[in-house]
Amino acid sequence: MADYSQFGFQDASSPVMEELVEFHDHALMVALAICSLVLYLLTMMLTEKLSSSTVDAQEIELVWTILPAIVLILLALPSLQILYMMDEVNEPDLTLKAIGHQWYWTYEYTDLKDLTFDSYMVPTTDLPLGHFRLLEVDHRVIVPMESPVRVIVTADDVLHSWAVPSLGVKTDAIPGRLNQTSFTATRPGIFYGQCSEICGANHSFMPIVVESTTLADFENWSSLMSS
Amino acid sequence: MRRLLARRMKFHLLGAFVVSMGCATLYKFGVAEPRKRAYAEFYKNYDAMKDFQAMKAAGVLESAPPK
Repeated sequence: MADYSQFGFQDASSPVMEELVEFHDHALMVALAICSLVLYLLTMMLTEKLSSSTVDAQEIELVWTILPAIVLILLALPSLQILYMMDEVNEPDLTLKAIGHQWYWTYEYTDLKDLTFDSYMVPTTDLPLGHFRLLEVDHRVIVPMESPVRVIVTADDVLHSWAVPSLGVKTDAIPGRLNQTSFTATRPGIFYGQCSEICGANHSFMPIVVESTTLADFENWSSLMSS
Repeated sequence: MRRLLARRMKFHLLGAFVVSMGCATLYKFGVAEPRKRAYAEFYKNYDAMKDFQAMKAAGVLESAPPK
């Protein structure tokens, strides 16, 4: 989860998120280069070291057409690479459905057993010591670690969005539509997210918690929940 | 004073380019590369089961309560 003073991304817990973090560093570096260039020239102009009194500027016009085109290509290539990587067919080991309601999530694991449960936020008054306010839920989404998982996201009433930043996942939940996303949790742990599409009074109070565990514990848990 | 603007413009445009490349290089080697190395170091000798056992012992997992 995010720290109160955090400025950057949460630590990546999936290969896609690692790529996104790297791409963000690349894009930010390009943005920094452009901003520093503009700031330098602006300072020169404001301190009258430079002026724009020219009559013929063919060369610079060429430069400031070609250079931005190159910058755009530098940004587009890794971006498209990650976009296509996210859409790769990766034969998921598990498929689960996440259905958004006002204001909770329902999860359906229908691969083997018919397992369905609701996931409500734990109210602050009921929160045990040491747990995270407005982030904990009564029933977490348990997934096996290092296994590709497919999530089908939809909604029952209004728009919601199923997001877990650490796994690099954010998918809109639209009534009457099934959206697909996938992730692979590279390590065991608990990953927090929040509804990311305004959906009414308690939009901020329907969090998502994904718990990545061993396959054996996942199977035990699913047997217990189904019975 | 002859061709003053042209000289200054050439100098400062070059300067601006150097400053912007310098900022980008600083960010790349000050932030981006250390971050990549940190991820690589973390996963080089990462023992998922050991991490999992620590979490289980701490009692934070719903699927694997401590015995």
